[in-house]
Formats: sequence, C-alpha cells, structure tokens
Amino acid sequence: MAGFPPPGATILGDDAAEKKIDEVGKKKVDYFNLPCPIPFEELQREAIMSLKPELFEGMRFDFTKGLNPKFSLSHSVFMGPMELPSQGAETLKIPTAHYEFGANFIDPKLMLIGRVLTDGRLTARVKCDLTDDLSLKANAQLSNEPNMSHGMINFDYKGKDYRTQLQLGDGSLFGASYIQSITPHLSLGGEVFWAGQHLKSGVGYAARYENDKMVKLACAMHVPFASLLWVATGQVASTGMIAMSYVQKVSEKVSLATDFMYNYLSRDVTASVGYDYILRQARLRGKLDSNGCASAFLEERLNMGLNFVLSAEIDHKKSDYKFGFGLTVG
Amino acid sequence: MAGFPPPGATILGDAAAGKKIDEVGKKKVDYFNLPCPIPFEELQREAIMSLKPELFEGMRFDFTKGLNPKFSLSHSVFMGPMELPSQGAETLKIPTAHYEFGANFIDPKLMLIGRVLTDGRLTARVKCDLTDDLSLKANAQLSNEPNMSHGMVNFDYKGKDYRTQLQLGDGSLFGASYIQSITPHLSMGGEVFWAGQHLKSGVGYAARYENDKMVATGQVASTGMVAMSYVQKVSEKVSLATDFMYNYLSRDVTASVGYDYILRQARLRGKLDSNGCASAFLEERLNMGLNFVLSAEIDHKKSDYKFGFGLTVG
Repeated sequence: MAGFPPPGATILGDDAAEKKIDEVGKKKVDYFNLPCPIPFEELQREAIMSLKPELFEGMRFDFTKGLNPKFSLSHSVFMGPMELPSQGAETLKIPTAHYEFGANFIDPKLMLIGRVLTDGRLTARVKCDLTDDLSLKANAQLSNEPNMSHGMINFDYKGKDYRTQLQLGDGSLFGASYIQSITPHLSLGGEVFWAGQHLKSGVGYAARYENDKMVKLACAMHVPFASLLWVATGQVASTGMIAMSYVQKVSEKVSLATDFMYNYLSRDVTASVGYDYILRQARLRGKLDSNGCASAFLEERLNMGLNFVLSAEIDHKKSDYKFGFGLTVG
Repeated sequence: MAGFPPPGATILGDAAAGKKIDEVGKKKVDYFNLPCPIPFEELQREAIMSLKPELFEGMRFDFTKGLNPKFSLSHSVFMGPMELPSQGAETLKIPTAHYEFGANFIDPKLMLIGRVLTDGRLTARVKCDLTDDLSLKANAQLSNEPNMSHGMVNFDYKGKDYRTQLQLGDGSLFGASYIQSITPHLSMGGEVFWAGQHLKSGVGYAARYENDKMVATGQVASTGMVAMSYVQKVSEKVSLATDFMYNYLSRDVTASVGYDYILRQARLRGKLDSNGCASAFLEERLNMGLNFVLSAEIDHKKSDYKFGFGLTVG
C-alpha cells in the first residue's frame, strides 16, 4: 500500500500510471492527493449510529411540518416513566410528560435549529459556511435552573487532506483538534482541551482506519460482488478514556459493530456488540452489552412520511426494563 | 310488543298465526317460547368487552402452542413498570417481570385451564357440562401469601326461559342468582349472597333489554352499587358503548364513553372516563396467528401515563 511516486512525475497524471504499474493488486499511493478525513468529533460515527440509537421508554410522537423547502416546524410529545435518581438498589420511576416545539431553517450554507421544551429548556444550534473551507458552528442551551446554561462555538477549517477545529465555550472552555490523512485509508489526529472553570486540561489522540474493498466472488451461480466496508477507530485521552470501535459491513443490508471503552483512571470497562439491518421498509438495530444490557430499536416505514418506532432495553443486572413505541410523521 | 294469544288457539301453531294477524308491524309474542336469557354474571358482557380491554404497561409476549386439537400450552412473558402502592400524591413505579405458564384442555363438554406464575400464584378453572341443562364451574387461586388463596364452585341450571345459579366459596361464601326472560327482548333477574367470613350479605336486581342493534342493562345491589350500561351497534364495524357506575353508600360515581371498531385486520377500542382517564387498545393481525397489541392509557387527573406493546403468537 505504501509507495513513493517516481521523482519528476506529475501529480495529476498519476492515476492512469498507477493502475498500469500495480497489476499485482497493490495500488500506488499518491500522498499529495489524499482524501479529506472525517471530522475529529465524528470519528466513531458508524459505530455510534449502529450501537447507540435513541432508546426511550413510554410513548413518543413527532410531527414535522414543512412550511417551505427550507423552513420547517416540529412538534414532539413524549409521555412515559422517567427514572428518579435513587440511592438504593431499587429503580424508581415517575410518569412524566413533555412537549417540545422546534423550528429548523436549512440552507446549503446556513442551518439554524431551535428547540423549546415545556420544562423550560431552550436549545439553539447554528451552522454556517463562512467560506468554502471555513465553517462556524455554535450551540447554546439555556435552562431555568441556575448554572445549567451553557454555550459553545466552533470554527472548522478544512484543508486539502487535513481538518482543524477551534472550540470556545463558556466557563473558559477552550479546545482544539487536528486530524490528518496519512494514507487513503488511515487518518490520525489529536486534540487538546482546557476547561478553566473545572481547572481541568487534557490531551487526546485518535486514529481511524477504513477500508472499502470490492471483492468479486467468482462462482458459477453469478453471485454478485459484495463491497466490504470496515472501519476501525481508536481513541485515547488523558482524562483516562480509551475507546476502540470496529464496524464491518457484511452485506448491503447488514452491518455488525463492536465497541470497547475503558477508563484507566476509574477502572471502568464496557464492551458491546451490535448489528444493524437496513431493509427497504425498516431498520433494526440490536446491541448486547458487557453490563448485561440488551437493547433493540426498530424503525418501520408504514407509509410515505409515517414511521413507527419500537424501542426495547433490558438491563439484566439491575432488572430494569424499558419499552417504548412511537410514531414519527413528516 | 305485548299481546295475548287468543283463547283456544294452540301454542305451537301460533307462530304462523302470529305473523298473519299483526301486519301493522307488531309481532305477537309467544310467552311460552321465550329465548333463554344471558347468564346473570354475563349481563353486561357487551359493555365490558367494549369498554374494559386488558390495558397494560410495558411489554407483553404470549405464545400459545397447540399440541392437540384439544390440548394447548401457553407461555406468557410480561416486563414493565408496576405501580407501587404509594401514600402520597406521586405515582411510583418499579420495573417487574414475570413469566406465566399455562395449560388448556378444551372439549365441548369439559374445559380445564391452569396457569402458574413466577411469583408463586396458581390459577385453575374447570367447566364441565354434567347434563344438557346442568353445568359445573369451579375455580381456585392458590398463592404463597397466607390468606390469599381461595376457591369457588358454581352450579348452573339452564331452564327453558330461565337460568339459575348456585355459588359456594371458601370462607363461607354462598350465593344464588336467578334470571328470567320476560319478553323476547327483556330479561330480569336477581341475586342474593352471603359472605360468612366478612359477615356481609346482600341482595341485587338486574334487568337487560336487547334488540338487534342495542343492549341496555341496569343493575342495583344492596352493597350500594348502581350500574347501567348501553351499547349501540352503529354499523357492521362500529359499536359505541357507555357505562355508568354509582355507589350510593360511598358517593362514588364514574361514567365512561367508548367505541369499538372491529375491522378485518384490526380491532380498536377507545374509552373516555369521567375520572379524566383516556385509553385505547389496538389489536392488529399481522399474519395468520400473529397479533400485535398496542395499549395506551392517560390519566390526566393523576398525570399517570401507561403505554405498552405486545405480541401474541398462536
């Protein structure tokens, strides 16, 4: 996979030359034309999408109404038991209900999202592309309770084969991250943050390796070729967290994912294994945890714009059962 | 609707005569050929079926496997939050789970049903037709907790246009009921019971009027309960029902209104209560032998929300 272009050869004309030179199967790598890497905070996004769906308990109803191609309103009702922070071994739940009203303005260059809940919380997010390479993201969360409101602003710069991000938050929060493509499949990065209010600082490193191979299965029955995609990520931070994940795309419809999280300061370890079936009318995600937690999440498309959602989570260790269903319109 | 057969006319031949005589629209009633009435304890069954589905919270999975045309086993798993008896205004729930194993033997003349739960309760029911008119019903519930086990035996006699029932239970429970058809549409009855253990006794009266489109019932008992119900079949698929319950000793009153949509692949029952409780229950047939169940109950007064879904196989 690693190779150096011959001296004097032009960068742009290398593609055809590469294919002729390597007929054994190894492609020559053009280190000046590496793809732009995934943003640092989205490093584990395949694993998070497959393993961490939005599980809930009770009933959820979401209604999104588009007033414009760009502007839409959303109404969301949730009713169900919420867990009380309990000191004992018992899990106590109280039935609660809330209603969330939201407004979204989505433009290719500007995105504004606002949400208000009945318990007095307001969330606002802005994403704006200032130039082709520089984008600004801001989010704020305001609450009735004192000291629970916070805001954060990010500046993202996208280079040719690197990305860098500067993060400023309230309470003297400062963060920066940088990620660079090393080979067409591997990207490495690091981050540093400093939280003034809590007097904490930390450094973190991350690596992401992804593979997209086309394998043609030669068989008399004309089995179609399958594209294998697998992604492996690893992340270490000085806050004590080590996180590794691996996602393998087994077929068009099925993905398997596994996740490992270890905190070397608090000696906490969690490993999970999950699957993700993406079918035409439904999407089913299931997960099994090392904490004795099994969960499943089903989204089924009943009609155009009408989705039915089923969520189930069984925690065998704590004997806690969470089941919910919901409807999403629009 | 009321008419007396002319003197001297034979009873059996009156049906044809009846139809010829009353062409205005009134059919002559043959008081010696009245239909057998509904059993006394099933008087309000249409209202109960429409207005009181088995609502639940959490997840329910039922699996019934038939080993024989007559014998079947059933496995039932339930997981979800159960309400703790709480003194305050708050509703507290704890997640619980239980598994119920059951066996059913169903024969035209004999029916045996048994259920065992993981919390140690056993339920057994027997229904046996001793002769064409006399049938025996027995049920028993055994439990780990002391003084929570009880059993009951019923003897039902079905006459030509009346039914009578004798009930014996443990703890010196004795009851008897009688119901008689008065007209082809109206039946009236009464019951008397005596509970030796609690030193209580009571008398009750009931009436039921039904025709093709509606059923109206009323019930009064000396325990203070007054209950009335009305069910109207609006069309093939839709029924509306309403229910009124009043306890004149404790001054407690509840009224409810509900609907029952019976469609080809689904059955939807909804109800609205005077206690500020709205509920709905949907059973949908996904496949042959596969039913999906959704249950929802919102109690606005107590701010209590109960939602559940389930699957029934077999």
